[in-house]
Amino acid sequence: MKTRIATYVTITILFLAGTSLLAQKFEQPVLISSAGQSADVKLVKMLAQRQGLNATTVLMAKPEDLTGFKTLVIVPGFSSKGLGAAGISQQDELERVQSLIKAANDLKIPIVLMHIGGNARRQGQSDSFNQLVADNSKFMLVVKQGDEDGFFTKIAGARNIPLTLVEKIAETAEPLGNLFK
Amino acid sequence: MIKNNLSTIIITVITATMGVIAAVSFGKMHHPEELFPSEGLTGKVMLSDYFEGIKGTNGDTEVYLFDSGVEGGTALVCGGAHPNEAASFLSAVVILENLRVTCGRVFIIPRLNNSAFTCSDPMEGFPASYEIPTKYGTRRFRLGSRVTNPLDQWPDPLVFSQYPSNQQLSGFETRNINRSYPGRADGNLTERIAYAIVQLIEKEKVNIAFDIHESSPEVPIVNVIVYHENYEEVAMGAILGLEMAGLQFSPETSPKNFHGLSHREWGDYTNAIPFLMETSNPSMGRLRGRTDVDLVLRGYCDNYKKAKETGALRIAYREDTGEPIAHRVGRHIAGVVELINSYNLYYPDMQIVIENLPDYDMIMEKGVGEFLNN
Ligand SMILES: [Zn+2]
Repeated sequence: MKTRIATYVTITILFLAGTSLLAQKFEQPVLISSAGQSADVKLVKMLAQRQGLNATTVLMAKPEDLTGFKTLVIVPGFSSKGLGAAGISQQDELERVQSLIKAANDLKIPIVLMHIGGNARRQGQSDSFNQLVADNSKFMLVVKQGDEDGFFTKIAGARNIPLTLVEKIAETAEPLGNLFK
Repeated sequence: MIKNNLSTIIITVITATMGVIAAVSFGKMHHPEELFPSEGLTGKVMLSDYFEGIKGTNGDTEVYLFDSGVEGGTALVCGGAHPNEAASFLSAVVILENLRVTCGRVFIIPRLNNSAFTCSDPMEGFPASYEIPTKYGTRRFRLGSRVTNPLDQWPDPLVFSQYPSNQQLSGFETRNINRSYPGRADGNLTERIAYAIVQLIEKEKVNIAFDIHESSPEVPIVNVIVYHENYEEVAMGAILGLEMAGLQFSPETSPKNFHGLSHREWGDYTNAIPFLMETSNPSMGRLRGRTDVDLVLRGYCDNYKKAKETGALRIAYREDTGEPIAHRVGRHIAGVVELINSYNLYYPDMQIVIENLPDYDMIMEKGVGEFLNN
């Protein structure tokens, strides 16, 4: 009997904790940036536009770019072409993202991770960016193929971060919009 | 005397025989495979009709035209920039042999670097050709080289200075058509071919242009659509459309500072909207095992399965099915179709309407050969 009550209590606490997290509201205006310079960020920009969000996309946002924004959406994923286009190294990019995340945390601007590139933006050089952004996020929106090995699910579980998994990139639009409703 | 030299004579005769057989076989690479355009074809010219400077060279190549007679936009589909990439050439051939155009015009150049079809890459052990069974019998296609035949352009400089950017690349890249745009009229053969293509794009007022490629599973740029930054929305629209059809493509922006490539220079020097697509071809990879026709066509290689399982690199390889030619050609054709669909949304006054191309599932189910004529 005692254990049963304990179980109920635990479930209730977990449920409340869960709903309070899910209920976290994100506010506009939104700054969208990349971590790894994959062009996936351009798709997120388009989806945010279609949802009518007040969003600005800065591919290589720096701490000072955060001024005036209330939410930071980061799209992680490595692209050698993207980095080549930006004329920077992977290390430069990692340092930029670290400083951006630190500044957002200091300013209490919540970070939303959007991983939409599936397995093309996993492993290899992408995962250092995925890990960094996921660890610091307050919400994760992930296209399932990128989580086949449970990479994001594990981080979400360990750090108590709400995670929404969808089948297709186009299906991220609605949950993205809902974050701000 | 004769007895003493008998072994020398025998070895000489055997070597000479082998040499003749090899030469005859290698010489066959100079005989282009016959193509059988669909009934929608309305014209055929040579690339040299746009620039005299490649006339009479192995760089000259056929340009096929499908003109609907209805005013609209103009598309250009290029295969065979790198003739060692089987799905590049074959995708253009399948389009050529099935296409109907009901609005606007489509140009097709199946052998973009014709000279590179006449040799294969040394030290790579590639088969010189492969065969595809069709409804009417077997058709043989050449598997050429990544670059212009050295018999047509030689020697390579130690360092290749790209024109006009002066970007420094390895000397070998002098013969790579996809480092040679926008080309120049008085340049080497590869630069002149590139120049002729740019002349065609300008003269025919091409609105959207495709450059079809393949690369090895371990390189970062694979299963992608590379787009010029001015036309981002067309690429993104197509990627969403392709995803709805179950095909995942990653968007890649053309680097502004990497010169000579179609997706950069066609976009910078002409009014065309350029797209380059890459599929994953294990026969081109450094980790591949035995390099034979089976690997080129079936695209199955255990080494890539192992490499992917280590997780050390991102490997674009499907462990269960490999990367068969039907999958690769199916992806390219779906990519062309969706990019044109997306283009039509953004440029309604310059529509291009194409029909009768097999979709991805049809090609996977029936094979590439089902969609080849004779
Ligand atoms: Zn290529």
